[in-house]
Amino acid sequence: MTERIGLFADLHSNLEAFEACMESAQELGVTRMVFLGDLVGYNADPIAVVDRVAELVQTGKAIAVVGNHDEAVFKDYSQRMNASANAAIEWTKSQLGSAQIDFLKGLPLLVNEETTCYVHASAHKPAEWNYITDSMSAWQCVQSSGKSYTFVGHAHEQALFYQSAVGKLIRFAPHPGDEVPVMSHRQWVGVVGSLGQPRDGNPEACFAVFEPENSALTFQRVPYDHFKAADKVRRAGLPEELANRLITGK
Amino acid sequence: MPTKADIEAVDDIFQEGKVVDGFVLGKELHRGGMASLFSATKDGIDTPILLKIPRVGKDQPVESLIGFETELTILRALKSPYVPKYLGSGNMATRPYIAMEQVLGRPLEALIKEGRQFSVDEVIRIGADLAQAVQSLHAQDAIHLDIKPDNILIDDQGKLTLIDFGLSHHSRFPDLLAEEMRKGIGSAPYISPEQVSGVRSDYRSDIFSIGVIMYELLTGELPFGNPQSMNGLRKRMWAEPFPPRSIRKEIPRWLQEVILRCLESRADDRYQSATRLRQVLRDPESVKLTERSDRLEPPSFWINLKRWIKAAGYEPSPSPLPSKGNQDTPLMIAAIDTRQSDEELQERMQTTAKNLLQAYPEGRLICLSTIASTPTFEGNQESETASGIVRGHLVQLMEWAKPLKLPPERISYHVLEAMDPAARIVEFAKDNDASLILIGASHKLPNKVTPWRTSMTKIVEEAPCSVHIVRT
Repeated sequence: MTERIGLFADLHSNLEAFEACMESAQELGVTRMVFLGDLVGYNADPIAVVDRVAELVQTGKAIAVVGNHDEAVFKDYSQRMNASANAAIEWTKSQLGSAQIDFLKGLPLLVNEETTCYVHASAHKPAEWNYITDSMSAWQCVQSSGKSYTFVGHAHEQALFYQSAVGKLIRFAPHPGDEVPVMSHRQWVGVVGSLGQPRDGNPEACFAVFEPENSALTFQRVPYDHFKAADKVRRAGLPEELANRLITGK
Repeated sequence: MPTKADIEAVDDIFQEGKVVDGFVLGKELHRGGMASLFSATKDGIDTPILLKIPRVGKDQPVESLIGFETELTILRALKSPYVPKYLGSGNMATRPYIAMEQVLGRPLEALIKEGRQFSVDEVIRIGADLAQAVQSLHAQDAIHLDIKPDNILIDDQGKLTLIDFGLSHHSRFPDLLAEEMRKGIGSAPYISPEQVSGVRSDYRSDIFSIGVIMYELLTGELPFGNPQSMNGLRKRMWAEPFPPRSIRKEIPRWLQEVILRCLESRADDRYQSATRLRQVLRDPESVKLTERSDRLEPPSFWINLKRWIKAAGYEPSPSPLPSKGNQDTPLMIAAIDTRQSDEELQERMQTTAKNLLQAYPEGRLICLSTIASTPTFEGNQESETASGIVRGHLVQLMEWAKPLKLPPERISYHVLEAMDPAARIVEFAKDNDASLILIGASHKLPNKVTPWRTSMTKIVEEAPCSVHIVRT
């Protein structure tokens, strides 16, 4: 059986979206999982989400890298985040126990495999959390990673940057469910999209599946009970704006 | 990343008699600049197989590899009776090949080279078939971008197949040739002005190429020649081609109108969908003749100068999604029961049709009625003969459509003979790529409820498009 890697980013404590994506990944025959950072922040289930991911990592079914929101739990980021993100981080800190915080602290910034690099924001100065949104930032990322494939999160919208005939990286907006051939002789940056807080106007959760042997990448969207997740956000006393983001997907 | 050594071994892997991923290689059929073609067989596949292997290695152009990747991506995604079926592919780095159905037929180019003369009717048929084949790509958000006689196979029955997707674009996949440094990749005689300026996402480019081919088949000449320089290629952004009727007199005016419209330099001025092009080729009476159809003289120096100055600032029109073409020029079918007169229902259907047509300025309406088979003997009275019966129903259709006040190019009338009206309506909708079927259903037919319900259900279930049911 060929390897199918499930790629998940920006889970942001959204348990409903997490469970829906896990179920979908299983149906799609995912054999291994990679969590591309930002397990926590914004939403209402940090403990459950961290515990589930930790279990998958500890049993060897998954690997995970750290994101800026994860780091904010144990480093001072209050000057670098907006008010509602900060409020969510403060609340998250009050919820998490030492087991979860230790797990987040132990996550690497970047993981390299033979042809693939996994990192939360960009392989270029990963600790600075630069967004990959355009040709230039994608180019810097592949220059630093040196791999055929770099998979990232951080920017919440799904995108695939590919190397054109002139070497420049071009942004492509993938269509969910379509298998895109990604040949290994060129360089690609896959921004897998946010699982826990989509922002492209579609509330469905994002993830992607990569099949190295077939050089195929498929972006996915999964509907889930986002009203329930939003309701939990409100009941946790988190900013109303964060609940509204889940409902509108914006 | 793959090493060069891997790639250079390709010639050793693909030889007659060798087996690659279960494909048994037969004869090498062709060796071109970009690819070699082998015939092949494989257990479990009944059709003859063609293996396409890119020419790779140090001295080979990079394009052959990008073209191969592009073709693989797009061929794999396409489902069309006018495209060879994709049957498999090999690892790009170690044994690159695409396996596809080996289509019988000869390239149109071979027929041209033989000096074959094409009759006007033959060209109309080829043009209409090409438009249909191209539409099947556009409907899937793909654009061929290299429609030329070399890439069109025609079999003994006249069936067309489009081949070679190495330069094609598919809006659901990354365009590997985007922002390519050289502009205007493709075949000089056939590419559209927007392709010359580097745009690869306009499906109306294919409509331009169909125009070039029809022009060539009719006149034996290329409307914009075969330029070898960028300046020469740019000429099509402003030049008006020599009117085909001045080369071959028997070309009907309507056909010149159609061809010159396909060859308009601005994509917005051409037909906005391949479906529409096919419709006008099959229904010349619906062609609205303009000044294009009257041209007999080549454009004057002054006109050319004016057009040239205008083209200095040539801006390609914005390119909508390929599948959008058909949405903007929808073909609607109004199925009207001319055997019974329910005035209230008819009126409601008229209003609905009117509203729908207002929403789509390029939309077309076909008014359809079905009748049981006509008598095979000729009756004594005119109204009893087959043609008389059909005419009677046609008149009713025209009466029905009168208040819509549609210009003739937007409406046509058909009376179809059918034992099973529902099946016939569905079939007709399929054949014509219809976007919508409008049917009426009255509540006033208690005694006929059962057959009525059956055929309505059948249409709704089997129609290849939306069905709008008007109720009273």
